[in-house]
This record gives sequence, C-alpha cells and structure tokens, in this order.
Amino acid sequence: MPPLLQLDEVDVFHGDLQAVFGVSLRVEAGEALALIGANGAGKSTLLRAITGLTPARRGTLCVDGQMLGGLSAERIAALGIALVPEGRQLFPSLSVEENLLMGTLARRPGRWTLATVYALFPVLREFRQRPATLLSGGQQQMVAIGRALMANPKLLLCDELSLGLAPLVVEEIYRAFSRIREDGLAIVLVEQDVARACAVSDRLVCLLKGRVTMSGPSQGQPRERIAAAYFGE
Amino acid sequence: MDWLATVVNGALLGGLYGLFGLGLALVFGVMRVVNLAHGEFIVLGAFLGVFLVGLLPQLPPWVLVLPVALAGYALGWGLQAGVVNRAVRSGNPLTPLMLTFGLSVMLRNAMVQFFGADSRAIDGGVLTTAGIDLLGLRIGLYPLLVLALAALLFGALHWLLRHSEFGRVVRAVADAPEMARLMGVTPARVFNRVMGLAIAFAMLAGFLLAQRTLFTPFSGVERMLIAFEVVIIGGLGSFWGALAGGMVLGIAQLVGQKLDSNAGPLYAHLVFVLVLLFMPKGLAGERR
Amino acid sequence: MKRLSWVAVAALAGTALFAPRFADGGLLRLAAEILLAVGMAQMWNLLAGYTGLMSLGHQLFVALGAYALFETTQRLGIAPWWGLPVAGLAGAAAAALLAPVLFRLRDAYFAIGLWVFAEIGYLLVSKSSGLGGSGGRALDVSALEDVESFQAIGFWIAAAIGIGMPLAVGALMRSRLGLALLTVRDNELAARSIGVDVWRVRFVAFVISGFGCALAGAAYYMGGMFVSPDSAFDINWVVMMMFATLIGGIGTIAGPVFGVLVWYALRELLTTVFGLQGGWYLIGMGAVAVAASLYAPRGVWGLVARSRGPKDVGAARPAKSDALEG
Repeated sequence: MPPLLQLDEVDVFHGDLQAVFGVSLRVEAGEALALIGANGAGKSTLLRAITGLTPARRGTLCVDGQMLGGLSAERIAALGIALVPEGRQLFPSLSVEENLLMGTLARRPGRWTLATVYALFPVLREFRQRPATLLSGGQQQMVAIGRALMANPKLLLCDELSLGLAPLVVEEIYRAFSRIREDGLAIVLVEQDVARACAVSDRLVCLLKGRVTMSGPSQGQPRERIAAAYFGE
Repeated sequence: MDWLATVVNGALLGGLYGLFGLGLALVFGVMRVVNLAHGEFIVLGAFLGVFLVGLLPQLPPWVLVLPVALAGYALGWGLQAGVVNRAVRSGNPLTPLMLTFGLSVMLRNAMVQFFGADSRAIDGGVLTTAGIDLLGLRIGLYPLLVLALAALLFGALHWLLRHSEFGRVVRAVADAPEMARLMGVTPARVFNRVMGLAIAFAMLAGFLLAQRTLFTPFSGVERMLIAFEVVIIGGLGSFWGALAGGMVLGIAQLVGQKLDSNAGPLYAHLVFVLVLLFMPKGLAGERR
Repeated sequence: MKRLSWVAVAALAGTALFAPRFADGGLLRLAAEILLAVGMAQMWNLLAGYTGLMSLGHQLFVALGAYALFETTQRLGIAPWWGLPVAGLAGAAAAALLAPVLFRLRDAYFAIGLWVFAEIGYLLVSKSSGLGGSGGRALDVSALEDVESFQAIGFWIAAAIGIGMPLAVGALMRSRLGLALLTVRDNELAARSIGVDVWRVRFVAFVISGFGCALAGAAYYMGGMFVSPDSAFDINWVVMMMFATLIGGIGTIAGPVFGVLVWYALRELLTTVFGLQGGWYLIGMGAVAVAASLYAPRGVWGLVARSRGPKDVGAARPAKSDALEG
C-alpha cells in the first residue's frame, strides 16, 4: 500500500529565504508522525507546504497517490487534508459552532459531526453560541481541533497543540487525541514538547535548520540521540 | 408641524442613504477595499432605469427594481472577477484605490459621452407624488415605501450574513482569508459575489433616488460622499449603524434644504464633520 | 544629486529665463501649466508616495490658494504675485486645521474625508457672492504698473515652482524628516517603536503638501486671471496629480515629473491629433490609470528601476497579499 503522505526532496522558501532543504518523509494511513525540532527549524513551514499555503518550490508532495504540486490550498483541503494551525487561528466573527461548521464545507462524509465533536469536547456544547475567540486558550484549541475534524480528513496536521497552554489543559487535549486516532486517521504532529511528541506518535522526524537530522520510531530512542538531532553536534 | 414633517421625511430619505452606504460598507468590511466608483454605479443604476422605463413604458417603474438589481449584481461580479481581485492580490492598499478611482473617471466620462450631461429624472408615476396623512403630518408615500424596502434589504442582508452558510463563509473570509482557504473556500469567488451584492444595492438605490431627484453623470461624486459619510457616521463595521447614519444625514439634508434652498448637500456634509469631531467612532462604535 | 541632474536643472532654468522672449503667449501658458502641474504632482506624491497618505481632496488646496490670492490682491490693492505667499499660507493653515480631524481616518477614509472638505469648500464658495459665487471672478490687476510683463513674470514664477518643488522634495527626503516619513510609511508600528512621532511627521508632510499645492494653484489661476468654483474645485486636479504620480512612479522624484509630461502629451495627442473631445481623453486617462494600477503599480519609473536595480531610496516594496495567492 502506498503511503498516505509522501514527501520527496522538498524545498520550501519564505519569500527569498529557504526554510526547508530537501526534506523527504512518509506517513502511512493510520500512523502518527511527530515532527520535532527547535524554533525556526522549518516545521511549520513544512506543514504550510503540505497544505498548499506556501507551495514547495522543489520536490514532490503526494497524498494518497495524488500529486499536490500546483494545486491551490482550497483544492488540497478538498482532498482531505486538514490543519490545526499554530495559535488556533479561529474566526473571531464566528461563534464556536459556526467555526466548527466551517469545517464541513468540504462535504466529506465520515465519523465527525457536530454531535460527535461535542461528545469529544463537551465543554464546547456549553459555549456553542459564544464568539469563539472569547473562550480560554485550551477551549479554543478544542474548537480548532474540532473544526479540522469536521472535514473528516484523511490527514490531520497539528501545529503546536500545546503552545501557550497550561499542563493540565494539554493533558486534556492529548487525551482526546488518542480517541481521534481510533479511526485510522493519519496525523503529522508538530510539537515542542519532545517527550509528549514521542509518547503520542508512532514515528519521529527531527528537523534542524530545515534539514532532516533523524527519522525513526518514537519509542525506545535514547535521549542523547534525539538531543543530538535536535540541537546538532 | 412643518418642521416635524421635514424631519420625518428626512428619516425616510435616510433609508435610501442607508442603501448607498450598505454596498460600500459590505465591500470594505469583507475585502478592505473602498470602491471609489461606487457613486458612479449608483448613477449608472439611474441611467439604466431611464433606459428601461423608455423601453418598457407600459410597466410601472417599481417593477424595474428587479432587473436593475440583477444587472448590478452581474456588473459587480464581473468587476470583481475581472479587475478588482487582481488589485486586492497585490497586497498594496493603494492599488485597489487607484484602480477604482481610474474606473470612476472612466465611467463618469463615458456616461457623459453616451447620455449627455443634462440632468434628468425618472417619472415614478403616481407613486412618487402620493402622500399620506399620518398623525397629522403629510408624509410622502414613496419615501415611506423606499424606507420599508431599505429596511427589508438590510434585514435580508443581516439574515444572510448571520444565518446562512454563505454568510458564515463571508464572515470567515473577512476575518482570515488564509484560514478560509484551508476550509476549501476560494476567497476570490466569495469576493465576486460580495461585490455583486454591493453593486446590486448601489444600482438599485440609484434607480430609486432617480425617481425623486434629478441626476447627471456627475452626481456620482455626491452619492459616493454620502455613502461614505453614512458608513462613518454609522460606525465602521456596523450595518444597522449605516441605516441610522443614513437617517441622520437624510434629516440633515432636508432640514438644511428648508433653511437654505441652494445649499445642495452642504448641511449633510457639515453634520458629518460634526460627527467626525465629536463621535469619531460613529453611532455604533467601531466593531473591529 | 548627480552632476548630470544639476546640469539639467541649470539648462532648464536657463531656458525658462529666456523663454518669454521667444515663445508666444499660448505656448508660454501651456508651459506654465505643465510646470505648475509638476509642482502639484510633487506635493501630492509627497503625501501619497512618501508619507503613505493618499489624498482625493487636494483640489481644496488648489482652490484655497487661488481664492486667497484673488481676494488678497483685491482687498489690499497689490500686485498679484504678493498674494502668492498668502496663498501658500492659506493652504498650510487649512491643512493644519484639518489634520486633527482627518488623521482619525485611515487610508481610503482619509482620502475621501479630505474630498468631503473640498466639497464643503466648493459649496460655500459657490454660495458666497462676496467671493464671486458660482460664476467666478476675475483677477484684480489694477495695481499692476506694467501689464505687459505680467505674462512673463507669471511664467517665471511657474518655472520657479516647477523646478524648485522637485528639488525641495528631494532635499526634504534626504533630511531627517524625510527619513522619518519613509519609516512611517513603511511600518508605522516599527517607526513608533524607535521613537518617531508619527502624528507630527504626518502633520508636517500634510502642511507642506497643502502649502505647495496652494501656491501652485494660486500661480495657475493668477496666470489665467480668472477663477471659478467649478474649475478650482474640480476633482480632475486630483485625477491629474494621481495619474501623473502613478504613471510616472509613486514615491520617486522623477516619477511625477515624467508622469505630468505624459499626461499633457497624451492630452494634446488625444485632443489635437485624434480630435477627441474632452470627455474621451479623460476616459483614456482613466483607462491608463486602471492599466497602470494592475500592471505597473510602481509606474514607468518603477519598471525602469526594476531593470536597473533599486536606486531610489524612497521606493516602497509592498508585501504581497496571501489572501489570493496561488
């Protein structure tokens, strides 16, 4: 079976500055891949390239056999790729429920509906009519995840879920995470907290200054090896 | 009593003025573009009305509201898809301003060339001259109907934006176009429809106004300034504020006209300056 | 400034000095109009290109300057050119008074707000018979001893303005104020964070722009010896200033000069060669502005600069919008 997501020698630029150098990786259906690395390593840029917001300048990106090169972000989203962006980025003019409903525009059938999302995050049902950005950070993160899930994606990209959140809240979010994985959804997870990243993912890719410095299973990696890949020798 | 009637009629005129501002506010709110050709489209609606009335004299003019609005939608859609989207894409806030200003110059002078500079009006028939007696005041029937129509349109737009999927998408695109793309929305297509709506409102309002005052190809400037003042007085980002702002200006206009018959829109402009001085956030305050 | 430019300026000045002797009245008048238009375009560009405040109401300053000059000349019974400083000050004063009100508005709303004030000015002047009303008024030349040299002097004044203003703007942009203007234009927040008084900087630019534009407007109507509200408050003044700046290259010194020449060349071409009436040439100008905004937003000078590499310190590099990318 071909991998759900395959990147080959991908170069991504931020304007005139190159941020990602020849990155290759693959994610199988149902697999969770953690993308770790220091700030500025190119993790978010790589995610943006997959979603099509900042198209890769070189290399190939392939989802479920479909080449992403040249496709607009809207088309890529319609293919079943959803992003939980860094900093949540909810729509301030929309209520919680309206934000969630924005995910349904792709009209993809699947497990995730308003009912099941509210079952996953019950507190959201309580605040469904409230303007989304008036919620706490953790609750907003739930909305952002819910919004992505409502598209019933094949591939879920999560950018820094724990950023700016208290540890207890992060716990709660990642508890939901394992329930999300029950479906066979493929996930790419960018996460600052390396221990957390290893705990919830199957495989690990580490980036340093835009290049892959390590790739392997998440369990059983010696700390020194990860630190070396993270900070460089 | 006479003064009261003037004030009431001014408030009714405000419905029309509110419609002027609605299109401008919609476009600015969603895509941060001020369409400097807005006034010219208002006048174009009037000219289209003249043309249609001449073509189909057997129909009562108020029926033509629909084709004028539809034509406006088509024109607005085409305008956005054809050129304005490109200007928005540039990222430079001056570009859409230059573009729409250039378009206004072209439209204005093209209308002079094709229709001549003479002033004209549309004869709305019985409807425009009829009046009703309400609580001892003589009120124009036409202004009352126009206000009712304006309120209806405001309400319809409000419903569309708050309770429909399209409205959700529009608000999302106005908030964060990039995130909206991740939901599968193509902002450019949304902009097309929004501009279509805005121009439909503009041309419709122009057609309605032409049945109560004279207009020339140069009237667009005045209309656009009124539209702009309506938006500011009402408060940036507030639609119902625009209707209220329209009423303030309508009253100022008619009262001013009563005081000083050849002042044109001077008093409306002066009231705008006062509001700008003392209530810079407008009646509704700034929402964003 | 480069030595070549100084040579060019000297040559221009020399030509201007001797022009009245050789050129006929009509040509002198056209040349004066072009020179004054250059001055006005520079003032518009100072505000739009260098300060980032686009204006749609500069006709207010043109008219204010003209009426101030006409009124001063008549009331004080002096030769018209002594009215010029008054005209400039009138423009500066108007800008100073309007700034606190208008600076609350952003971008397009600032532009239209100034237009509203121009309209108010138009309506007030049209209604006041003391200022000549809607019919206009003629220049009081009774204090002139030598009416014959009036045209020559008027031309020299126009030349001084047309040559002097680009130089003045150039000098200004190399000063500390000029640098402050650029920082405010490019990134207001960053400018504030390094201690630039954004409000004051914009204020000064606005006042200078008002002063210069009023001066040029006064000189223009002085030369024609007649002013009317329809002419002085005409939006087409701003159409010209904007067109010239856009076509030539916004945020450059040479741009507006070039743009004004293109405007007048096109005007003469369309009206005399192709025999089009006024309306059509304006449509053509509008079309060119539309095309320029889409394909050459940095103007002709911007295209030239791009091929030679960025040399003009003041030229802006706008960030692309992600909203419609891809």
